[in-house]
Amino acid sequence: MKIVVLVKQVPDSGAERNLRPDDNTVDRSSANNVINEMDEYAIEEALRLQEAHGGEVTILTMGPERASESIRKALSMGPDGAVHVLDNALSGTDALGTSRVLAAALQRINPDVVLCGAESTDAGGQVLPHMLAERLGIAALTGARKLTVEGSQLTIERQTEEGYEVVTAATPAVVSVWDTINEPRYPSFKGIMAAKKKPVETLSLADLGVSAEQVGWTGALTGVASHSKRPPRSAGQKVADSGEGGVQLVEFLTNEKFV
Amino acid sequence: MEVRLILGLAITAAAFTLAGMRVLTLYKLGRAGQPVEPDRLRQAGKRLWAVVTEVLGQRKLLQWSVPGVAHFAVFWGFLILGATLLEGYGALFDRDFHIPLIGTQAWLGFLEDLFTVAVLAGLAAFAIIRLRSTPQRQGRSSRFFGSHTAAAWVVLLMIFNVMWTLLLYRGAQINTGNFPFERGAFASEIVAGWLAPLGRGVNDVLETVGVVGSLGVVLAFLVIVVNSKHLHIFLAPFNVAFSRRPRGLGELLPVYSGGKPVNFEDPGEDDKIGRGAIEDFTWKGMLDFATCTECGRCQSQCPAWNTGKPLSPKLLIMSLRDHALAKGPYLLADSEEERAKLPRNVLAEAGRPLVGLPEAGGVIDPDVLWSCVTCGACVEQCPVDIEHVDHIVDMRRYQVLIESSFPPEAQTMLRNLERAGDPWGRGAKARLEWMSGLGFEVRVLGEERIPDDVEYLLWVGCAGSLDDNAKKTTRALAQLLDEAGVSFMVLGGEERCTGDPARRLGQELLFQELAQRNVEVLNTVGAKKIVVTCAHCFNSLANEYPQVGGVYEVVHHTQLLSMLVAQGRLVPARPVDATVTYHDPCYLGRHNRIFSPPREILGSVPGLTFNEMPRNKETSFCCGAGGARMWMEESIGTRINETRTDEALGTGADVVAAACPYCIVMLTDGVASRKSQGKAADHVQVVDVSQLLLQSVREEANPAG
Repeated sequence: MKIVVLVKQVPDSGAERNLRPDDNTVDRSSANNVINEMDEYAIEEALRLQEAHGGEVTILTMGPERASESIRKALSMGPDGAVHVLDNALSGTDALGTSRVLAAALQRINPDVVLCGAESTDAGGQVLPHMLAERLGIAALTGARKLTVEGSQLTIERQTEEGYEVVTAATPAVVSVWDTINEPRYPSFKGIMAAKKKPVETLSLADLGVSAEQVGWTGALTGVASHSKRPPRSAGQKVADSGEGGVQLVEFLTNEKFV
Repeated sequence: MEVRLILGLAITAAAFTLAGMRVLTLYKLGRAGQPVEPDRLRQAGKRLWAVVTEVLGQRKLLQWSVPGVAHFAVFWGFLILGATLLEGYGALFDRDFHIPLIGTQAWLGFLEDLFTVAVLAGLAAFAIIRLRSTPQRQGRSSRFFGSHTAAAWVVLLMIFNVMWTLLLYRGAQINTGNFPFERGAFASEIVAGWLAPLGRGVNDVLETVGVVGSLGVVLAFLVIVVNSKHLHIFLAPFNVAFSRRPRGLGELLPVYSGGKPVNFEDPGEDDKIGRGAIEDFTWKGMLDFATCTECGRCQSQCPAWNTGKPLSPKLLIMSLRDHALAKGPYLLADSEEERAKLPRNVLAEAGRPLVGLPEAGGVIDPDVLWSCVTCGACVEQCPVDIEHVDHIVDMRRYQVLIESSFPPEAQTMLRNLERAGDPWGRGAKARLEWMSGLGFEVRVLGEERIPDDVEYLLWVGCAGSLDDNAKKTTRALAQLLDEAGVSFMVLGGEERCTGDPARRLGQELLFQELAQRNVEVLNTVGAKKIVVTCAHCFNSLANEYPQVGGVYEVVHHTQLLSMLVAQGRLVPARPVDATVTYHDPCYLGRHNRIFSPPREILGSVPGLTFNEMPRNKETSFCCGAGGARMWMEESIGTRINETRTDEALGTGADVVAAACPYCIVMLTDGVASRKSQGKAADHVQVVDVSQLLLQSVREEANPAG
């Protein structure tokens, strides 16, 4: 089974993040750049599939030079190799453009399963898996909290706000996962050392046959018009118990879908 | 006489052959381990002194008075009675033998008899101790739980046999006129009085039987010793000599492979990372295992064992020893063919994972390995200087770095350290929050060097900047330094975790990254004097950073504050009406021997009543947070922090003082849970020593906050 995991480098969601005033993009210069957390779950799921069914796991990343740190980090968990799409013209690419580039790269690799995180912690659009499936003409199984494989049949439990749906599709397919699906492994020292020697193929837009006009600032069909700081957190709602405090709490929790 | 000589020499030859073969096997097995860290072979003077104080002086044994004195008697008995062994062998050749020059002097005879009696008294004490604290009756709380108690009784019996046969032949010698001493040997003379009525002929026989019998017993004992847990008789002096000096506490050693530190940036192909198999231990590790005499002093002190967890330092060392011996033939086999021919049980032993679940045949259960708080109580107690904590961390290193196998809760802490530089994952910016509203400006270092007018760099630490309770300590210290006119500065967002929790968990790679980064920052800004409130930061900065090129004068805030009080720069004038007890943080006290400064501070506060807990200073009982246990669930047995909290509450304390943010977190939790159970008064609080001092130094009754 040939598996590709999409990995995105994002600014650490734990630290304070800012948008640049000049072009409304995420300020990555001051941020601590890490693997998008949800993608680690996708890597773990890919490795588990590999352990159960054999085959090869490849990391696919589109991003600037410094994304190679995240690629090595991803490889230290155990994948066999990586493809890094690196081109200066990619700066400013939106989700549509990204899907165009990644689809072109995926066509070269021709995998059975494409795994990715259900969303990135920076843009949080959740649209890329669907766009990719559309461009490649294959099924999209999104938002999985469980994935099982029987032969060429993929079955997921698709996490929804009320519960889950069981969705199946034949390979090839795109599967996006939530952080409920597994517990990612901690890279071992051996893994870190091995990752340094694993092959990373660097591809340019020309290699993929994508023209620079279709991507980057020029090719972007969407853009951030303006942005403002999140308002400071408002004080919470206090429930004073005058007999029906418990009911109020339960109502709050169910209304907010915590339970 | 010929019978005596032939028999005596024959049993000697037999015993030495048997014992020699065993010793050779043990030696080879020890050499199957890795080479030691080179420091162990340096500082001969210090090592000799350790042997003098700990072996000849029995320093650590005498910390426990009754068994200590009994062991002192037996140990010195063995040395002194070496003279009787010489006399015994002499008597094989010459019935009237005496040691040349001094051999007939009364004092020697007296000394020999004195120690014969002393050994017998020691044996009686040991027997009573063993009977009173037998595991059958006391269960887990017996320090002999899990020890080979039958073998221990055999040893006591054999020593007893040595003593009575000695007295028998010495008494008979007096009656046959072949005794070297005319006066002094008082015990032998009493026995002679008992034997005299039997007549000359019987005494002649008794003398020969006694001499040969006594040597026979000694030789049998020799064979038993080299085949039993009693090897410490011969190994303890070596184990003490090659152990870490001044003690196996404080800093952890870097990861060594083949006697050289591993370079984590470019490790060698065959470098061994930690201990993944018994032969990965160094020969000193093997020596540790073989030297353990199962006395259980470590077990009696261990916070994990005493709260119902499966870890006992003694049982851990015993398991490793038993496994090493059982795997021995496999390790010593010359070739793969020879290995294939080994008995099935040896091959099964060789196939056991060093750390693994019982189902997988693991030698050490993961629950045992991860229960350790690295408090060092075991190392502190061990009379033969076994380095339990080092072995545990070395096994953890393999589990984390090679197997990626450790309690999953700890992964959050490691990820936070990697991403944000602190265990809570709050990031650099949050490190400045603690100082708001102090009433004076705390100087934060920009990109320049520390200016000349700044005396101390205040290393705030992750807890000190991010944990609400620990922030109060940091604020109290800052206010006290300001009050005393001590100039200080902080690194602010440039500080990162020292790496202590990562290192204690076994994540040495992450520790090295954090430590190297911190040292680079500290060296760039020209840090010289550092004051720190966290005992763990203190230990890393003072003891471990020199390993990565960071050498500073590091003081704990209790040291600095007690000095400022002594100099009159801080005057605790306002009475604090409270009963206070003090909890020694392991990494401040036992690991770094800072016992007095916090007590001096408390002693300087007027109105304060100070009550010591039963377990204090060297024998302090851990709060449960060390060894990265702060970041793991405690699901087995009872809770360590609650055990310690009960001890603190037992002193009648209104205020439980400590000097480490980890301890304060754990004891605060403990007190809160006891309050909710109605077992602690509502006014009881847990604070840092500095907060009490601030309360007394400041005019108004406004606690630090």
